[in-house]
Amino acid sequence: MSYTLQFGQVTGYLPYLAGGAWISLQIAFLAFCGGMVIGLFGAMAKTFGNRPLNRVVSGYVTFFMNTPQLVQIYFIYFALPDAGILLTSYEAVLIGMTLNAGAYLTEIQRAGFESVHRNEMEAAETLGMSLMQRVRYVVLPHIARVLFPPLSNQYILMTLGTSMAAIFGVEELTGRAFNVNAETFRSIEVFSLTAGLYIIVTLIATLILGLFGRYMFRAKMRLY
Amino acid sequence: MLARIVAEAPEFFSYYNVVFLLEAMLATFALSAIGCVFGFAAGFFLAVSRRTTSHFLLPLRTLTAAFIEMFRRIPFLVTLMMVFFVFQGLGLDISMFSVALISVCLIATAFIAEIIRAGLESVHRTQWDTAAAMNMSLIQTLRYVIMPQAWKIILPPVFSFFILFIKDTALASQIGVVELTYAGKVLNNKGFSAALVFGAILILYFIISYPLARFGARLEQKLAAARNS
Repeated sequence: MSYTLQFGQVTGYLPYLAGGAWISLQIAFLAFCGGMVIGLFGAMAKTFGNRPLNRVVSGYVTFFMNTPQLVQIYFIYFALPDAGILLTSYEAVLIGMTLNAGAYLTEIQRAGFESVHRNEMEAAETLGMSLMQRVRYVVLPHIARVLFPPLSNQYILMTLGTSMAAIFGVEELTGRAFNVNAETFRSIEVFSLTAGLYIIVTLIATLILGLFGRYMFRAKMRLY
Repeated sequence: MLARIVAEAPEFFSYYNVVFLLEAMLATFALSAIGCVFGFAAGFFLAVSRRTTSHFLLPLRTLTAAFIEMFRRIPFLVTLMMVFFVFQGLGLDISMFSVALISVCLIATAFIAEIIRAGLESVHRTQWDTAAAMNMSLIQTLRYVIMPQAWKIILPPVFSFFILFIKDTALASQIGVVELTYAGKVLNNKGFSAALVFGAILILYFIISYPLARFGARLEQKLAAARNS
């Protein structure tokens, strides 16, 4: 029943773990950007698209929202080689996370698209704006303020979600924690340090996103 | 890829594999259902304790806020590993399922507490003040004034969190809990092609999650209608 905490052995690995946190943030950022592009086109297709296109996008969103990200990445990493597509673990995780994020971000952005009033879209159409112009000059400025809080929330959740990259051997924060654990066997210390780093990283991310949202879009956001 | 799936399918869907998969499905469902029921009870307690005003309870409020903020910012995988190694360090011999259940309860408590807090705050301040002016205790205020209005706002997000959580419990396979993802890994290691096994696992998750998601959407619509009328 006795366990003596010895942080001395693992504090030396702190810079190594912090480097992992940086990689975690990178993966989350890349996947989020990819997901935003998919999400924007998905939301456009769902709002303005014709029926077949709508069906396809809905199917994609429903499927990816109702299955776990982990199994999706398993499928991409282990099953696609059968079809001749060989991916490194980093690529597989990135593609899996991007596709998964794309589904969630489509749904978030679609809600924003629907909040734009019909009259404004019709007015823009009367002015002879193309679809891309309407989205760029009418829809996006409108919804940026409303959508910034849920989108930044999604980004924080995705930062936490990157921890599953460790399962495929990507050396991000959790992956490096597994490595340090294997070297030192101070498991509780290593993982509490990792948890602390995750808390710090997400707190900083929340603060930066909150300040950005408040001053750029006048969004109502909590800073902590 | 397709030819291999067709060739292996009859062997894959043998009686024992199907039973194994169904049991694993049940474990996945139980893990998140028990976690969410516990999380709702504990989260309610935490959310209410943050609304107390007594000076003696200040440490309780601080601890609650710290607990909620902490567990909402630690990935599930790391929580799982922490709980796993803490129990190992204490020398307690408990099953992997219990380890996963404890971590699920911790995380669900933190997330649901935040949902319930938002729900309680959605009731206008004046109602709290009126109840206080009528000399109602905190319990009475909640029972007769706040909850009748707040539960419609609390229920839909709690339900969608539950559905989200069914998919997050896939990570419990990493410490060896026999649930759906772990069943997939076992069958894959037995030699079935990954496309067949993980395709089947994806479909099984979809079968659990999709009807619940549809039900959740309907629930949300009904409650929204009830609120506006």
